[in-house]
Amino acid sequence: MLKRLFLYPFAMLLLLLATMVAGQGTKPEDPAGDPFGDELNFDDDLFGDAFDSPETTKEPSWLDGFTVRLSQQLFWQVNNHSVEPIPGLRIPKQADLENNRLGLNFRYQNAFAPGWLLQSTGQARWYWKDDYEYADNNDNIDTEYRINELYLQRSFGQQSLKFGRQTVVWGETVGNSVLDVINHTEFRDFTIIDIEDARLNQWMLVWDVFSTDSQWSSFINLYPEFNPVALSGSPFYANTGYNIGDYKRGSESLFEVGTQWRKSFESSDISFMAAYLYENQLSYDYPSEGYGDALAKNNDFALLGFSANRAIGKLLLNLDLAISLGVLPNQSSFPGMTAQGSSLEIKKDQIGASLGFEYAISSDQSISLGIQANKLIDEREGLVSGQVPVNEGVFGSWLVRYRNALSNGNLVVSSTLQGDLEADSLFVALGVDYSVNDHWAVAGQIISTTANQQTPMVLFDADVRVGVTVTYSF
Amino acid sequence: MTLFKVLRFACITALAVNLAAEELTGEAIMQTMDDTRRSTNDSSFTRLKLSSCTFGVNKGRIACAERPRVKVLESVSINHGKDNKDTKSLSITLEPPAERGIGMLTYGYDEAGRNNQTWLYLSALGRVKRIAGGDSDEETEPASIFGSEFTTEDTDTGKLAEYSFKRLEDTTQSGRKVWKVESLPNVERAKKSRYSRTVHYIDQERYVVLRSEMYDKYGKEIKRVMASRVELVNDNWLARSVTMMNLVSNRLSNMAFVEIYTDLDINDAFLTQRTLTDNAYRETGLEALRAQTQ
Repeated sequence: MLKRLFLYPFAMLLLLLATMVAGQGTKPEDPAGDPFGDELNFDDDLFGDAFDSPETTKEPSWLDGFTVRLSQQLFWQVNNHSVEPIPGLRIPKQADLENNRLGLNFRYQNAFAPGWLLQSTGQARWYWKDDYEYADNNDNIDTEYRINELYLQRSFGQQSLKFGRQTVVWGETVGNSVLDVINHTEFRDFTIIDIEDARLNQWMLVWDVFSTDSQWSSFINLYPEFNPVALSGSPFYANTGYNIGDYKRGSESLFEVGTQWRKSFESSDISFMAAYLYENQLSYDYPSEGYGDALAKNNDFALLGFSANRAIGKLLLNLDLAISLGVLPNQSSFPGMTAQGSSLEIKKDQIGASLGFEYAISSDQSISLGIQANKLIDEREGLVSGQVPVNEGVFGSWLVRYRNALSNGNLVVSSTLQGDLEADSLFVALGVDYSVNDHWAVAGQIISTTANQQTPMVLFDADVRVGVTVTYSF
Repeated sequence: MTLFKVLRFACITALAVNLAAEELTGEAIMQTMDDTRRSTNDSSFTRLKLSSCTFGVNKGRIACAERPRVKVLESVSINHGKDNKDTKSLSITLEPPAERGIGMLTYGYDEAGRNNQTWLYLSALGRVKRIAGGDSDEETEPASIFGSEFTTEDTDTGKLAEYSFKRLEDTTQSGRKVWKVESLPNVERAKKSRYSRTVHYIDQERYVVLRSEMYDKYGKEIKRVMASRVELVNDNWLARSVTMMNLVSNRLSNMAFVEIYTDLDINDAFLTQRTLTDNAYRETGLEALRAQTQ
């Protein structure tokens, strides 16, 4: 712990240096003296080409709908240390390069006819030397391609229909809502720490009906998907001695369905929602033979929810309430983590609440806090003697985000703190994003994790990660 | 040009001539200028280009010391409410590529103490999000407009009662006869303003600000606005190129009204949250507006 206390100032120094370097623009030609006299000649043609903008004259093309982002990312775990997941078992962890990858993300939007729209996003990844996926591919460059979003939209009158791969987001609390459970997520490694980045798209039909201040939004998902298992070699991968695979679909037909009604008032928005869903996280039974494939099991449940926000000047208050009927009580409170083989197959009802606020300290600075708390109803009912639910009492997590936009937003300093309500784990991320120009951007990040043996996060106790990402957009 | 437009134009012109003939007060000049500016917002569809750069002065001429950062926005706006003094506006970012598609909906109210409402749509967020802060003239400090040197304070219309005005002298600016009018915020306004004093140079014929100088509480000029390309756009005189120079940071931003059309037929329903999330609806609505401008 003490060691990390010394690492924090080092991290802050790095961030400060990055800020200073980032803030160095081209120097003015003649900043000395008092150049701003009354007779200063202002060149009217300085931005004259703004009125000769080519986009107003060129022929539209379907290619105009593309936005592409290329990014090269390097991420290191920099702390040589060991973890002790259970008393007496110490696992050494060496400083190592974890991520060395080139990413290509695209977004395409084409309103090809009145009321019609096609939208897609996708990504390709190339895993270079020393990336954990390179190592897992027998020290060969590995590649990955994925279509994230792909939907066709038809809007007519007061209605809209969207069919295809998409996300549905419920809840108001930033990054930590008990209602944000429609889409499955993938926290593959520590470069993905926000749920906004982890959310995965699913094949759905979404039907919206709009009126002046309210909206009905309903969805049906005929192919529910589940959180992917940790990739071999990734920081979240744990070798259990048996295979943890994806859900094996049989002849059963799965579907999810839900509806939300949202209304806006002056300074406030409220929503009511109801859904029939599958838990995004599968549960696993040990292989019956003690080796081979673990048995992945899904669980359906019903969700009733309410959310509201209230703006009071610079303060925005958020509230989400969820009643989940028939969940399995084996989920970890930390996103992306689950307790495996807990053998608790008794369905329980659960109430959950997310409370939060967002406060605009100034026009450039903001801070937000979200607390998620859950409680199983009659948590011990049906348990045999000696059985203990993974989460007892009130459990959940908290999330604090701070953001400061400097230099007219070209330089953004941010931090994220996240932990569980039992204070078993703490996650701290500091980031600096600098837009070099309209196309190039550089981002730096320092992430520290602290955890005790009460949580699976103990495997990352005392980890310190440093990363840098260079991005080119066009 | 409709009969209504002809009459309105004639009235404004007659008013301007009449006012010019009299010994005008600073308040009267500013009120007419503000009305003119407000009318350019009504039922309007605008394509804006915001260019920002660090600048230097070489042989008395201003020049960018770096390649300018450029944002291109499309904006739709209507006036409504009592005396048509409230506004609803929607802005969609087209450039740079990394910010393409970001949408912002704002309901602005003229009434003192009534908070403006703002909703933002980011595709990464996946939903419409209400924004607190930067949405209330009463409680927040001026915010930068899309990362430029322009702030919400610089582009606000109305609330003239929060200032006192003094006509200083008649002079010329860019070859045009102008009034110099000094604007001082009252005590309440001064608390949330970055300027303790502003001097406007207002075209005597066209009621357009050609130059403004903003001073801090120490009397130092910290910002200067220069306007050019004054053109008659749909019967309203408008400076289509406005440059804000920050004399402290040596950074400037130019706001170019690349295209501006007013008095369009804009459905109230288009300025709702649906337009932020329903991309097909939004694009269809924007196409309809573009068609009106042909």
